[in-house]
Amino acid sequence: MSPPGAPARRWPGGWFGAVMWTLGGLLLAFIVLPIVRLVATSPVASLRQAATTAAIRDATLLSLQAAAITAAIATVFGVPLAWLLARGTFRGRGLIQAVVDLPLVVPHTVAGIALLFLLGRTGWVGGPAGRLGISFYGTQLGIIAAMLFVSAPFAVNSARVAFEAIDPRLEQAARSLGATPWHTFRRVTLPLGLRGVLTGAVLVYARSISEFGAVVIIAYYPATAPVQIYNLFLQSGLTQSAAAAVVLLIVTLSTFLVFRTLASGRLLTRINRAYG
Amino acid sequence: MPTAEGGLAVSDLTGQAGSFRLGPVSLAIAPGQVLAVLGPSGAGKTMLLETIAGLRPHRSGRIRLAGTDITSLPPEQRRIGLVFQDAALFPHLSVAGNIRFGPKARRQPPSPGTDPLLRRLGITPLAARSPRSLSGGERQRVALARALAIQPGLLLLDEPLSALDQPTREDLRALLSELLAALDIPAVHVTHDRDEALSISNDLAIIIGGQLRQAGPASHLTAAPAGPETARLLGWTELGPGTADRGTVTTGRLHLPDAAPPGIHGAVRVFYRPEDLLLGTPPAGTQAAASLTARPRRSSPPGPWPASPSPPTRP
Repeated sequence: MSPPGAPARRWPGGWFGAVMWTLGGLLLAFIVLPIVRLVATSPVASLRQAATTAAIRDATLLSLQAAAITAAIATVFGVPLAWLLARGTFRGRGLIQAVVDLPLVVPHTVAGIALLFLLGRTGWVGGPAGRLGISFYGTQLGIIAAMLFVSAPFAVNSARVAFEAIDPRLEQAARSLGATPWHTFRRVTLPLGLRGVLTGAVLVYARSISEFGAVVIIAYYPATAPVQIYNLFLQSGLTQSAAAAVVLLIVTLSTFLVFRTLASGRLLTRINRAYG
Repeated sequence: MPTAEGGLAVSDLTGQAGSFRLGPVSLAIAPGQVLAVLGPSGAGKTMLLETIAGLRPHRSGRIRLAGTDITSLPPEQRRIGLVFQDAALFPHLSVAGNIRFGPKARRQPPSPGTDPLLRRLGITPLAARSPRSLSGGERQRVALARALAIQPGLLLLDEPLSALDQPTREDLRALLSELLAALDIPAVHVTHDRDEALSISNDLAIIIGGQLRQAGPASHLTAAPAGPETARLLGWTELGPGTADRGTVTTGRLHLPDAAPPGIHGAVRVFYRPEDLLLGTPPAGTQAAASLTARPRRSSPPGPWPASPSPPTRP
């Protein structure tokens, strides 16, 4: 029963509500049904076998590790760029924003090829780096580079939106009270935009762990989980790859949910309490 | 150049925001003195404060505070307390955290004067509260305490009372007047409310369209505004266009003998201050600047609140 004073109807009713529910529900079903079908296809025994297979386990761990490192790098470099875009009034701001969004529209295989030209053994960066003993082709470093390229816009845009939502007067008040620009950023802007920054990091993590197109070109081996699943699909067929896919799905979804919960609630409260 | 020994001296200050141009503005405020900057919305009052505080770049001019040229200093080095219209309290910090923010940023030891200040502002019990849970008046008191906690050399108040309801505004206005009188620092109080300006300060500066139109003692400005816009801001009411001839001003059917100062002839615009109107026979020994005779046709019944306004009387 609704509490006194609460709106009598929680959801929109009538034909309008029915249309909204039908359209939204169809999209929801389109997202959920393949996942349900995938999980239903895989018996527990095959899931257990997939989870204990060394190649699948290593690939999953590699994906988790590379995605976490990518999220950290994207945040460290993306937050300053986000702040510049949110607060800067410089010429070319629109162009920089377009560049940031570029990976969102470039096909990921194209991104992989472009990265290979840059980071490959004869690339602008890959060549000199190779002479220093640093290789991107077929290494975890290359995987991280590919993941970073396709997912960095999420870190920048999420933090930028969060910074733009902060009243500039708060930063002005901090400056007038004696805070330097760095102190103002650390004590006012960052704590207030932290939810957006952490959300961006979680999105980067999620996008990175699912990346296939760019990664497969720059680092076919060591295989990340999506590459390993693709290999299994080619070599052993649908059933074998489905079990591995479910294992990856469970690991990805659980880590994603943990990070998202931390970013949206308890972690933020703790950090803000520390600032207070 | 204006001088104010130990106070604020602004000379020929100009600024630009898009196509809007501020200044040149020259002001001098002595320690302990409050200047009320009065102007309509969009006149450039806030821009002037932001430029003095260093939050907005200036184009030309100089700002001196307590004898030091602060024109090119960044805001954090100016030691200027700023109170915003909406208080701009840090929502992620408690009230105490907000007040401690400035001294911490300046690495100042906790000031022994802070606790009496909080008591005086009546916000000691609010220390642990979040700014989100405060009323408008409480927020402005905290903002004031936060600005004063850094022991500023100048206090800038940007319409701090305009977002408050009438009773709260009056309470805070009285508190602010008392507090500013006790502080030995110059203060600038920006407002578009004439009554607020006059109740807080004895000195006024009028800004319209980014230009400083008139500045000086409030009594002088209210008695002799420099132009129609200034007059309106200071509470004068326009009767309409008229003509001046040998001291007599005629507007519509009204003839006001001895109303035009010497040297004023031809087309004029006629203004009066409602508080200067006297109805009845002038008391013995007083002389009206202008007077006219009217014969009342009807009068309202006596009482504090007539049910409907009386019809206008014809002269």
